Amino acid sequence: MEKRLMKGNEAIAEAAIRAGCRYFFGYPITPQNEIPEYMALHLPQYGGVFLQAESEVSAINMVYGAAGAGARVMTSSSSPGISLKMEGISYIAAAELPCVIVNMMRGGPGLGGIQPSQADYFQAVKGGGHGDYHMTVLAPASVQEAFDLTMEAFEIADYYRNPVMILGDGVIGQMMEGVVLREPVKLEELKEKEWATDGAVNREPNIINSLFLDAVKLEEHNLKLKAKYDLMREREARAELYKMDDAEYAVVAYGTSARISRSAVDEARKKGIRVGLIRPVSLFPFPEKIIRSTIAKTRTYLVVEMSLGQMIEDLKLALNGKRPVCFYGRTGGILPLVDEILESIELMRRGEGIEADCCLS
Amino acid sequence: MTDLLQYEMNRETAWCPGCGNFSIRRALVKALAELDLSPEQVTLFTGIGQAAKMPHYIRVNAFNGLHGRALPAALGMRIANPDMKVIVESGDGDTYGEGGNHLLHNIRRNPDISHLVHNNQIYGLTKGQASPTSEYVLKTAVQPGGVKSDPFNPVLFAVAMKASFVARASVTEEEHLKEMIKAAINHKGYALIDILQPCVTFNRINTYQWYSERVYKLEEDYNPADWTAALKKAAEWGERIPIGIIYKEEKATFREKIGHLKESKILAGKRVEPAEREYLLDEFR
Repeated sequence: MEKRLMKGNEAIAEAAIRAGCRYFFGYPITPQNEIPEYMALHLPQYGGVFLQAESEVSAINMVYGAAGAGARVMTSSSSPGISLKMEGISYIAAAELPCVIVNMMRGGPGLGGIQPSQADYFQAVKGGGHGDYHMTVLAPASVQEAFDLTMEAFEIADYYRNPVMILGDGVIGQMMEGVVLREPVKLEELKEKEWATDGAVNREPNIINSLFLDAVKLEEHNLKLKAKYDLMREREARAELYKMDDAEYAVVAYGTSARISRSAVDEARKKGIRVGLIRPVSLFPFPEKIIRSTIAKTRTYLVVEMSLGQMIEDLKLALNGKRPVCFYGRTGGILPLVDEILESIELMRRGEGIEADCCLS
Repeated sequence: MTDLLQYEMNRETAWCPGCGNFSIRRALVKALAELDLSPEQVTLFTGIGQAAKMPHYIRVNAFNGLHGRALPAALGMRIANPDMKVIVESGDGDTYGEGGNHLLHNIRRNPDISHLVHNNQIYGLTKGQASPTSEYVLKTAVQPGGVKSDPFNPVLFAVAMKASFVARASVTEEEHLKEMIKAAINHKGYALIDILQPCVTFNRINTYQWYSERVYKLEEDYNPADWTAALKKAAEWGERIPIGIIYKEEKATFREKIGHLKESKILAGKRVEPAEREYLLDEFR
């Protein structure tokens, strides 16, 4: 199989094309501009279209339209731009349309900065826009994984008819690594989308809609969506366990902070601390069962995030008060350092730095 | 005339050497000084972009808001504070792309706001993508085959909507640009100046030379009150580009249209004499 040295952003764009994405709608923002650049250069070779919209709001609505037409379609942005897309994402989720949205997170809130961050976790996994809905959220920690998860994202999106978010950050987007490229999907072999508005011939017209004025009907619709999310929780939750077999302590981190935490775990092991790493790969659904399976051996958990603590809430819910939780986070575009995480691991071992509200029982 | 140094801040900017923004800053400072407007009498609203960094590089009240949305924020202040000189500075992508809808509706409302658009026909902050005013021939990393949409003519658009003051200026004519800014600030109502400005790093087509070869000042006998003539003048673009006040019409401002606002007393202008608050000290005595 072909191996190439690529930036994370380029790998995501290449994966999308190989997954059959032929339409990309975007708007310039740092640090994700390599995705539109790659799409602009390569999509025309596959008969596809890259379009720079007049705003993020416009771009996500173009995605809405192309998804409704039955096409594999993607958009990408970074934090402030993703906030603008949230209205459209809510409608896409409500109308049950598949699409892929990439967020290369930067520091916020507001305009913030352009350095890497993980401060959009809540927005990504809790819905982000209005109403009872979730995106499926996948968080790559390497360029290879960015490629693999993007290809898979299109399958998940089509299967569940739900928007899927690839949640990365400036580091994942900008760093270069070797990537093994998977074979492209065959467009003609993709499952037919019977719901798409592709021209009604010999059948009733399909309607893309998120309006249910009858509360009873809307509740039914919400329950139908919930059934999909429950199915995702059952089937799509995933996490990587690293050195967890005998781990008394666990670091829980995703994406870039997981990569750094992994080095800290290795350093701690050299000091004889039995610590491992739980790296959620799907953030929605959150890998609760996998985390709960570690409770038998693991005494304390340390969450490391490039935020002031967002995923920590999902970890606490998963542990349900059964184990204490510590936290270490850097924010505003600052990366946590290996030494800093190591220090937090040592604190955790001494029983210090426990979050006050994490032990309910 | 107010001392120019009053507006001076840190000279260090994130703009490239040779950027047209420097001329606009210079012209703005001179215009404010010649109009005897001191820094506390002016608030500068911007969105996001290279032009939108202006409040960081000039000493007046500053509001750095959202991409494309400096106008609504400026309108908010305009309604709340009748005395402040409200100036919006933004780029072509910010104003005509992301903020296009806000532009349209502010022309309709006609608030007393001066709007300086730095139009370099490209996105500079995000390193060179086509903007709404980019021409077909412009090739960028995301438009490798050139631009596929007609360029937006903001002056024609604003004249067609009968905006109360529509001008075009160019950084290649800095003295003229300063006069345009002064006229816009003195104008009662919404005043748009589209300022032609090269991006020396990312736009290799619309250079200083490109603009200087094309721009010309409106004829002495040009009448900006003649809407039909203005439409024709506004449509002129290409080999010859007119600069000056293209269209001007006295209209009621947004505040004037809301009758009761004229009489309203606002907190912003309220002066509290220390003696009136003397009683607050009583409990410490």
